[in-house]
Amino acid sequence: MLKIENLQVKAGDKQILKGLNLEVKAGEVHAIMGPNGSGKSTLVQVLAGREGYEVTGGTATYNGKDLLAMAPEERAREGVFLAFQYPVEIPGVNNVYLLKAGLNAIRKHRGEAEVDAFEFLSLVREKMKLMQMDESFLNRGVNEGFSGGEKKRNEILQMAVLEPALALLDETDSGLDIDALRVVANGVNSLRRQDRAILMVTHYQRLLDYIEPDRVHVLSGGQILKSGDKSLALELEKRGYDWIRQGAAAA
Amino acid sequence: MSAAAPKATTSVDRYRSLFDARPLPDNALTQWRRAAFERFAAIGLPTQREEDWKYTNLRRLESRQFTPATPAPVATDESRWIANAGARIVLANGHALASLSTVSPQPPGVTLLTLGQWIANSPEQVAEFLQKQRRDASSFELLNAAFLEDGVVIDLADGARFDQPIYVIHQMGPGNGMSHPRIFVRCGRNSACTLVEHYIGAADSETLTNSVVSLDLAQGAKVAHYRLQQESSRSFHIGTVHAHLDRDSRYACRDIALGATLARTHITATLAGPGAEATLQGLFAPSGTQHLDTYTLVDHAAPHTLSNEEYRGVADGRGRGVYRGKVIVRKDAQKIDSRQSSRNLLLSPTAEIDTRPELEIYANDVKCSHGATTGQLDSTALFYLRSRGLSEDEARGLLIRAFAESILSTIELEPLRQHLEQQLNERFASSEARA
Repeated sequence: MLKIENLQVKAGDKQILKGLNLEVKAGEVHAIMGPNGSGKSTLVQVLAGREGYEVTGGTATYNGKDLLAMAPEERAREGVFLAFQYPVEIPGVNNVYLLKAGLNAIRKHRGEAEVDAFEFLSLVREKMKLMQMDESFLNRGVNEGFSGGEKKRNEILQMAVLEPALALLDETDSGLDIDALRVVANGVNSLRRQDRAILMVTHYQRLLDYIEPDRVHVLSGGQILKSGDKSLALELEKRGYDWIRQGAAAA
Repeated sequence: MSAAAPKATTSVDRYRSLFDARPLPDNALTQWRRAAFERFAAIGLPTQREEDWKYTNLRRLESRQFTPATPAPVATDESRWIANAGARIVLANGHALASLSTVSPQPPGVTLLTLGQWIANSPEQVAEFLQKQRRDASSFELLNAAFLEDGVVIDLADGARFDQPIYVIHQMGPGNGMSHPRIFVRCGRNSACTLVEHYIGAADSETLTNSVVSLDLAQGAKVAHYRLQQESSRSFHIGTVHAHLDRDSRYACRDIALGATLARTHITATLAGPGAEATLQGLFAPSGTQHLDTYTLVDHAAPHTLSNEEYRGVADGRGRGVYRGKVIVRKDAQKIDSRQSSRNLLLSPTAEIDTRPELEIYANDVKCSHGATTGQLDSTALFYLRSRGLSEDEARGLLIRAFAESILSTIELEPLRQHLEQQLNERFASSEARA
């Protein structure tokens, strides 16, 4: 589904990604871990089309198409979704309006009719229940006055409604207490499917207790230094990142 | 062609020849008009040397030759009127068209008539009334007085209420006529009314509207005043509003400026009695080469008075917006609460907004706050919306609308708010439309 080859990305004068390779197949959940400043967030933001980065080399192919050549909205309509680390507050734009506009943009792209208003509302209500969100959410501005936990839930709610093929989760666990983390993880788990891939970036192993990855990668210094199954995450928890960095330097 | 025709050289000369060409009866009203014209001629149009006009150059206006407003029916474009906005009065190029009016008979204590009717019936009475009014001070008020022909008179006795909003349509064009309408609103004690002014210009007309609205609110009176300016993009609009507020009265003005090549709105609210409260809110959105200027003056002349101002500007293309808000707190006007906020959005690198709150405080026990910000669309918010599948234009439009929402949401008249939302949606719907 997603194939990244030798991806090199600059932010300003700084080279952040220095030849990153990664392949994610449909149905898989991948976790990218790594120390601060290793380029984890840059990777998912570049994949979602955030401006301000310069791709200096390499490719990212999504379902055979050149992902990096697409506008952010095209990627979204093709099924790519980014759950933001810091979801943006947009007072004056209604939450439900955004959900509906997003869903209709995707449906239109697929040649489908706009969603029926009644069906849409019952869909949103059902997903809100899953994310344990309050009814009052419906009439609020996008993330307006939400707590950190509410914002993260809202991201997963959007994902549940938009049903992407490739979900990119940027530190979705950060700032969550254990109850909120369970709700968020439960939401993500309910979205695991054979035709959907999830790529999550995280700092902490604890998220992986709730969302079990098929593959774990260590990103450091702009490259993936080591990949493994979920046991790699446990090893990182015990030993930190230094042994991998030293191993890579020695090799 | 005619070499004998006197060649007007300055704008004052041009207005004088228009003034002299008018067949006016020999009466007190004509004397009043003539006196106003001579005072106008003595001071001329304002220049940028005057502090209040620092950011607005009237050269574009000065060079124009306008024709006198004609009472002949003009092409009206009813599709642009707001349906169900209230009792309708149409001023076509400044002249009331009775045939298009929908004013129903009013209960006792409510008087609504056109100024033209009043002048026709009893010019001496009108002259007497005008003499007692606040003396016109500015160039444009004097010019309005000199060319005064028609307008609206609203008079509410104590406790009277107009049963629906009064919807005045200032329909301008086609052509290059000038119009100097005047609206008088007198509200007796505890009376209430809503006045909606809608300025509409025919496409490609190059008109001048120079309106003056004066409102006098007695104790406990309430007035909601809406101004929606949608003149043609080649026209000029000068609007002067004076509100005088007695004890415990409330005046709320919502001023939306979207049209005209050059527009200036000057709103003065004088808080003359304790408990008086003025709310001034507005939105101006210059694009292309439009120049939209708003000047407000809130005069806290009595203690225990409140004012709240909130203006938002959205400038695109090479559009230029100006907001200047002056607040005066007179000596001994203690326990004042005055708030002022100006927030502005620049959508293009060539757009410009000048904003300047000014406070003049001569009392010591007052609470005054003011703030001004100018910025661009939040790129993170833009990306957020696009990452959910919305096109760039759609995302921009949503963010601009969201920015304007705090002003739109204060509009309590549903048909007016819907009209405005539609106008803003059209304007900001696509980048092509913004060119």
